[in-house]
Order: sequence, then structure tokens, then C-alpha cells
Amino acid sequence: MTAKTAELYKPVKAILTRVITESPSIKTFVLKPEKEFHFKTGQFIELILEGIGEAPFTPSSSPLVKNQLEVTIMKTGYVTGKIHNLREGTVMGIRGPYGRGYPLEQLYGKEVLVVGGGCGFAPIRSLLYNIEAEKDKIKKLIFCYGSKTPQDCIYKNYIDHLRGVDKFEVLRSVDKADETWEETEGVVTTLLNDISVTVENSTAVVVGPPVMMKFSVQKLLEMGYPENKIFLSMEKNMSCGLGKCGHCMMGKYFVCKDGPVFSYDEIKDQPDIWN
Amino acid sequence: MHFTYNADKSIWTSVLGSLLSEYSIFAPFRFDNHLEYSAVTKNNLDDIIYNQPKPSSPLKTFFLPVKENVTRSYAEKDNRIIIGIPACDLNALSLLDEIYLNKDYIDPGYSHYRGNTLLIGCDCHTINEHCHCTSYGFHPYPDENADIVLSRTGDNIILVPKSGKGKIFLKNYFEDHKKESPEEIQKIEEIRASVEKQLEKKNKDLPGYKQTGNLIIQSEEDIWQKYSDNCVSCGACSAICPTCSCFLFIERPGFEKVRSIDTCQYPGFERVASGDDPLRPLFKRFRNRYLCKYVWKPEKFASKACTGCGRCIEACIGEINKNDLFKELKIKVTSET
Repeated sequence: MTAKTAELYKPVKAILTRVITESPSIKTFVLKPEKEFHFKTGQFIELILEGIGEAPFTPSSSPLVKNQLEVTIMKTGYVTGKIHNLREGTVMGIRGPYGRGYPLEQLYGKEVLVVGGGCGFAPIRSLLYNIEAEKDKIKKLIFCYGSKTPQDCIYKNYIDHLRGVDKFEVLRSVDKADETWEETEGVVTTLLNDISVTVENSTAVVVGPPVMMKFSVQKLLEMGYPENKIFLSMEKNMSCGLGKCGHCMMGKYFVCKDGPVFSYDEIKDQPDIWN
Repeated sequence: MHFTYNADKSIWTSVLGSLLSEYSIFAPFRFDNHLEYSAVTKNNLDDIIYNQPKPSSPLKTFFLPVKENVTRSYAEKDNRIIIGIPACDLNALSLLDEIYLNKDYIDPGYSHYRGNTLLIGCDCHTINEHCHCTSYGFHPYPDENADIVLSRTGDNIILVPKSGKGKIFLKNYFEDHKKESPEEIQKIEEIRASVEKQLEKKNKDLPGYKQTGNLIIQSEEDIWQKYSDNCVSCGACSAICPTCSCFLFIERPGFEKVRSIDTCQYPGFERVASGDDPLRPLFKRFRNRYLCKYVWKPEKFASKACTGCGRCIEACIGEINKNDLFKELKIKVTSET
């Protein structure tokens, strides 16, 4: 038995060094792994709460940083509820990274359009860190981000930073605005009406809740994006991360191993892609 | 056939008895009205059942126990022999090997158990009510994954090695009984042909493996609604299926991880954090298992995901017979096109 095989289910331990509240239901957990942790943007990890459970998350930090990992988590269920109550100093476990991340090589030389919704900004932030570090390789980047209300907008400081990055353009919308909101009101696809993009030389990346991805893909197809130039990070119940346990099967794919990032043409004929 | 080993049953059982100090040995035994793989001891050597169709529980439980601490060390030496395995169970290992020995992620436990186990397959000399291996292109005798194939003819035990491991085993323990046995082999071939014929006759209306996949793709919801009406999501069909191998993890203190068998037949199997669950409706869960076996797995793996053992039909407390479903679907689809 190879060492790799023997260690298959054993996690890397990591200390929780900081908890950042991003919105009423979303927090970012900063982890320091016991050894360097390498991942590619868009790959996911299983984050383990000892003796309680584990859940899949795509790191929201830069893949270029190896000694620290950030995971942004929305409180939605049993494990995420427990994680939200954690204090700094807790030792957690990390398995992975797993799956196929964003196809960076397909973004080079292109006008990159990133469409994000809600907590989908978490995996997108990792992608944006990566692209910013390699911005000489792209023509430009347009990031359209939608959330439900202004309070639900996460990474406010990071948005300010992005607005100062050369070649980057950031547009935001909220479904329901209040008096503080000075940007667009409406679903995220309304932002796509106002962007200036050369579709023929563009690749799109869409990450967010399933319904948001569904309508974003429809809009991108209407705009003329070919199906193989739209990339999606799919949300399924990834559990083992190894293409074995079956929980994330989406037709013929194990989303954990074959994805989670797919081009639209790869998955359009598979069942239940939007729920 | 290659060279064979031919010994009187009493010699075979005495050698088996002597091997008990080196190996854990398992074989089918009769319990009331069914067979079950069970441990061989000095006291039950004569009760081993040879050449009968499947035990109630599938072979997979030897490699994927119901619960397994997957973070434990697998350093121990625990050589095992399993005797009397029918072809449907052996054929199922091909798919499990593809999943659990996938070169990207070799499962430590599965790999350990597979490596330490000698598989002695048996021809089926009779058929059970729901056996249908031949409908899916298999034979009622082992031709895949066995290390040795055993057939009993009268008082003789005929052993044919099928792998390097099997050859070494027979050389070590049965070298004195190596002999050409044309008469016995002839007899075995005759039984094989006869059993195959019985199966083909019994299942003549059942669509084949690939055809079943095509029928499922063309099916409407109504037939799944109808057949799932009796389903109580107990998961017995998956638990006793030799190829179903989905699981969930249970976390234990000390970052230990226990793998426990799971099935898409249970509610919430595919539920995600947002609460979305594509398999919430019962008929969708019920259909999912067949889509997986006959449509999706064939697109992804070389091995078949149903070996025609018929255990799912026997185990169903709602008396759902998937073969009736596919026969009905065949008639329905054919009449519509």
C-alpha cells in the first residue's frame, strides 16, 4: 500500500486563527494548516469539525498563499451552524484539495466575465486573487456581483480594492435596495445589459445559487456566448471528494472528481443541474 | 480449460481444515430457507454448500463492510479464503474495483481486503426464481475475478486455477491431485450449458442490459410512479445489491472517520446546504437507482452495474419486481414507437 493510499482519508490539521463576520449569515474562517496546503483556484476542500462532521467548501483565499487558508461559510445547516459557533484556536481538519478548478488557461488572452451571486463570491474571490496576480495574461475582467440586500453584500473592503485594480471593472446589484445603496437594483442578470464586452473574445465564469446560475446562463447564451465558453461551479452534496460515495452524482458525473467546475456544454444534458 | 485438480471431497475438506490455522475461511451455509456466507470452522466443514446460486448477502460486504473505520491502519496480516462464490457476485467486483481501486484514489481498506482474499468461485448448478445473469451477458459460472473455480461432480471436487494467485495456492496445497479430468470437465460443460439454457428460457422476455438503459431513457414518469407506490425507502435493494456501493462518513473524535453504507433510496441523499434535493419525490429516488445502474454507470465505467443476481427483487418488502417493470416498459415503449 502506498503512503498516498494509507493517508487517503486522513486530514491535515489546521488552527482557526481568526473569524471575520461578513454578513449576518456569512463568516470567513482563517485557518493555519500544520503544513503548506496547495490548491488550485476552484478546487474544493472538506473542512472537518472533529467528531461532528465535515462539509465541502471552495477556499476563498488566494491559491498562491500556501501557509494560510480562508473559507467563507454561510450558516445553512447542522455542520455550518456548529462551525459558525467556533472560537479562534480550534483545531480543524482539512481534506483535499479535490476536483477540477477554474480553467485558467481558457481565460488567458480573453475578456473575462465573472458573474457571481450571494456566497458564490467566496470561490470567486480565490479566482480573482489568482487573476489579479496574472493580470498581464488577460485583456480585461468584468465582475458582476448580485446579492439579495445591501447587508448581504460580502467582502466590502475587497470590492473597494478590486475597483482600483487595473483592467478590472466591478458592477454590483441587489435584489432589494435601501436608501444606502447607490448601485444597481435588480437581479444580477440586469448588470449584464450594461457591460461592454466582446463576446467573441470572452470567457464567462458563473458561480452562485442554482437559480441565479440558471438565469445567468440563459442570458449569456442570448448574448452569444458559446456553450463551451461558459464555466460553472456546481453545487452538489460532495462528501468523499474521491468519486466513490455517490452523493454528488449528476447523471454520469461525480461532481467532486469530474467537476465541480464544468463548461455548460458538458453538463447541459445531465439531470437536475439546477437543483 | 487449463490443467485441473481433482480430489475426493473428503480430501478437499481435510485440506481446508488444515488451512484454518493460516486463513480465515468463509463459505455459503444453509440457514433455514436461505444461504449465507459464514465462517468455516472445524465443525462445519461438511456443511459447506457448493454450486448453488447466491447467498442472501452479497460478496461486497467482505470488501466494503457495513461500517468501517477508514482512517485505521491496515498493517495486519489476515489472509482470507472465500469459497463457493457465484458468478454474479464475482462479476460485481469488476465495477467495485473500478471505483475503489481507481488509480487517482486507491481506497486503503478495499485494496487491503482485495489483496488478502483468495476467491474460489463456483458454477451454479441450479437457478433461483429471480436469477437473470444471462440476460445481461454473463454466464452462470465464474469467468471473471475468481482465483480458482470449483465444481463438485458427485464425490469429486474439481478445481481450475484462474489467476496466478490461484495457481500458487493449488500448487502449494493440492499438487498431489493435479490431473487431467476430461470426463469431469465434460460433465461440467454439460451442466453449464443446461443451466444457461434454463436461464435463457426463463428470462426470454427480459430486455438486455443496454436495451434496459435505452428503455429507461425513453420512459415516462408514470411507470416509475406506479412501481414506486409500494416503496418505503428501506434501502434493502441497495444493501443487498452486489454493485451498489454508495456510502456516507461519520466523524469520530481524533479525526477518525467511519464509512457506513448509504443509498440514494434514503431521503436527503443528494440534499445540498441550500435545502435543494433533486431526489425528494419518492419516484425520483426509486428511478435514480435504475438510471444509475443502466444509464449513467455504463457511460462512465467499463463494467456493468447490474449482474442479474435478482437479490433486489427477493429483498423488497414492497414486492417490487424490477424485472416486471422492465418487461412492462419494453412492451409500452415498443407499442408507442
